[in-house]
Amino acid sequence: MKTSRRNFLARSAAAGVVSIGAAAPPFLNRAAWAASEEGEKDRNDQILVLVELAGGNDGLNTVVPFSDEAYLKARPGTRIAAEAVLKLDDALGLHPQMSGMKELYDEGLLSIVQGVGYPNPDRSHFRSMDIWHSARPGDEEFRGDGWLGRALDQSQKDHAGRLPALAVGTDRLPRALLGHKVNVPMLRSIDAFKWNNGSGPEADRKRRRELIEKFAAERAAGNPSLDFLRRTTASAALTAKRLGELGDDYKTTAGYPDNGLGKKLKTVAQLITADLGTRIFFVSLGGFDTHSQQEGAHAALVGELSTALSAFCEDMAEHQLSDRILVATYSEFGRRVQENGSLGTDHGTASQMFVVAPKGHRKSKAGLIGKHPSLTDLDPEGDMKFHTDFRSVYATILENWLEFPSEKVLGGTFAKLDFV
Amino acid sequence: MAHLLERYDSARHGWSRREATHLLWRCAAGASPSEIDRSVDEGMTKSVARLIDSQPESDEFTATENLLHRSALKSGNINSLKNWWLYRFLKTANPLAEKMTLFWHNHFATSNAKVRSTEKMDVQNALIRQHALGNFAELFRTIARDVAMLLWLDGNANRKRHPNENFAREVMELFALGVGNYSEKDIKETARAFTGWHVRNDEFWFNKVQHDAGKKTILGKSGPFKGDDVLEIFLEHPACARFVATKLLAGFVRHDPDSAMVDALAERIRAHKFEIAPVVQELISSQVFYAPTSRRALIKSPVELVVGAHRTLDGRAHLSECVQLMSDLGQNLFEPPTVKGWEGGRLWINSATMLQRANFASQVTGGERFGKFGASPRTRGSESETVTSYLDLLLAGSVSKSTHQELTNYLRKAGGSTKEQTSGLVQLIMTLPEYQLI
Repeated sequence: MKTSRRNFLARSAAAGVVSIGAAAPPFLNRAAWAASEEGEKDRNDQILVLVELAGGNDGLNTVVPFSDEAYLKARPGTRIAAEAVLKLDDALGLHPQMSGMKELYDEGLLSIVQGVGYPNPDRSHFRSMDIWHSARPGDEEFRGDGWLGRALDQSQKDHAGRLPALAVGTDRLPRALLGHKVNVPMLRSIDAFKWNNGSGPEADRKRRRELIEKFAAERAAGNPSLDFLRRTTASAALTAKRLGELGDDYKTTAGYPDNGLGKKLKTVAQLITADLGTRIFFVSLGGFDTHSQQEGAHAALVGELSTALSAFCEDMAEHQLSDRILVATYSEFGRRVQENGSLGTDHGTASQMFVVAPKGHRKSKAGLIGKHPSLTDLDPEGDMKFHTDFRSVYATILENWLEFPSEKVLGGTFAKLDFV
Repeated sequence: MAHLLERYDSARHGWSRREATHLLWRCAAGASPSEIDRSVDEGMTKSVARLIDSQPESDEFTATENLLHRSALKSGNINSLKNWWLYRFLKTANPLAEKMTLFWHNHFATSNAKVRSTEKMDVQNALIRQHALGNFAELFRTIARDVAMLLWLDGNANRKRHPNENFAREVMELFALGVGNYSEKDIKETARAFTGWHVRNDEFWFNKVQHDAGKKTILGKSGPFKGDDVLEIFLEHPACARFVATKLLAGFVRHDPDSAMVDALAERIRAHKFEIAPVVQELISSQVFYAPTSRRALIKSPVELVVGAHRTLDGRAHLSECVQLMSDLGQNLFEPPTVKGWEGGRLWINSATMLQRANFASQVTGGERFGKFGASPRTRGSESETVTSYLDLLLAGSVSKSTHQELTNYLRKAGGSTKEQTSGLVQLIMTLPEYQLI
């Protein structure tokens, strides 16, 4: 079931949230979701949650080829034992800390796209991440925009005043979201969306809040910029109210882990529930650059990913929003097949992407997509060869999920995959 | 259409607080009560001259600025350099020069996200500041050899046999001519002319071996052009002055200037041989600058929002918090999002940034996160007069009668201490949608 706008309005009105009154011009009601005529559509649109695994995740120890002799040989000190992995089939198993994601897999919700990469892989964190964000691997030009930013640019909507995308918990705006016609905000926490009413006596604070909303509701003054600012102020006030109410008693029985990604994804869940019309959320989990003694650190990281992601999915199911949510993970590269001399791994190439998508959106059952790359047919650096261009994954997400044309965004046509 | 730029006749059309605050918001991101008073007393000519002519900096400014600058370079931390630049914005006696430095930083947008060197970004910033109110042609020639710029636009990748078009394309599209004034062929030929413009040992280096000395045809002219020759071809092209005129109008007058305005200003730019100070001087003394349709036509950038609050209310800033806020609001100094710079205007505003702008107002009046704020206008007399004096200080322009009445009623009924009462009033004014306009 989808959360309908009408239901939401009815609930909000009953709770006294929409308090503008009958005399208010219609745009103020619409401003509740910072959208105009397209409001209805935006409500029900599908949502992408992109999870970045920064530092280069060791894909081989995440989806483990536990029975492959070459794996056992290349990883004498860092391998995950066959009896410990969470088996997906006779050859592959998830890291033992990933029971939450194993459940999603068993339920037919989690797909694993294997062997994803791009030609002439770059092993610099910065450059490779830049390629994943820009989706322009062969291009040395640095115009700075990213694949999702370009997709929003080309959607031909006026994004001013709206929140088509949000980066949650990042220090800087990820390049993937940079466009020329959109300014994507960063949100460190839900508190940033709380209205600070200043100081002084409570009665005056309340009066100021009322006056601010009243001023924002004033009629046209022959200055379109001023009208625009008034609408956006009204929208901001309503957004703050809704998030304030949801934030204070946001209810979920989902067991979010008390870790960074858990907090970020819970914030994303709250923002989705608040129905702001945002279609793209970006979060990042860092620390995957495991050059030495990687066992404990890597186990903690994939555990964090798995527990946070499964709690988020549970939360969305509880709010009957699963139908609208697709989560995808990626990392700038995998790691070298052969472990190094300090019980760690160095920068490599091809790796897997996880995708959680609702049932009923794909032809076949969710599961493994594409073969695991060979551990013996390696490139000259000793790294696995990719067989699926990352832009195929992007094209699938853009076309089959977000319903954006992908050709211009990605600079070509890429085969679509069957994960959604 | 030259009359658009005809001098504003202040004797006839008036020079009141309205005109003075309009000028000071646009050119100095706001001003203190005493600065506004002085501008009203001195009139337009002197007020404009004070902005254009170099003013001596105070010893305190120079000392603090030096300290912040040295420690930023010593640490190599780009955030410290951002703090330093914000300090300059807040306390300089030459706010227009600082505005123009940011203006050209946005025009020749270079980001530390790729350059990754506080020192090189600082060198570029100094270079821009040196020419900020100087000659555009000179700035253009100098910045084309700037190390940060060459790293940013892949100079070293531009080699004789493999020309890299990045620099050539951006020079034409974003620095000199604007789209529609050149062909893809012009870009290819321009790239050839710039082959060998490399960086070696952190300095500009003309790598003769990698330079393509053959004949090129660019914008209808042919010859064995070198990079410098091409820069001159661009500067002589009629589109160049128009391009700069469009940017100046968007920065000073209105976001979407019409072509008559652009033509008129481009003509002045050519007449002044790309000298920026006299062009800006004419522009901010012109009828079009003070025309009713130009008032409140610009949306404050995050820098103008933060600097304005401090300059009007005599703030002592918490620099790093302010820098972080500007970044949260979309303007991360030294890190423009793309080579196109900050698009600005309405793109600064969405419900998230609007809330953050409102919360900034609450913090300025009721907290200390962004600094300490002291000054207030002289407020003798009735509540209504107090409201008027704060509106005059904080806003560029007036508010409706009903808003004024509501604010006065608020003040009448407000409880708490006098300080809390005026803080509440200031918060309200700073949260008015009008407050975001200059």
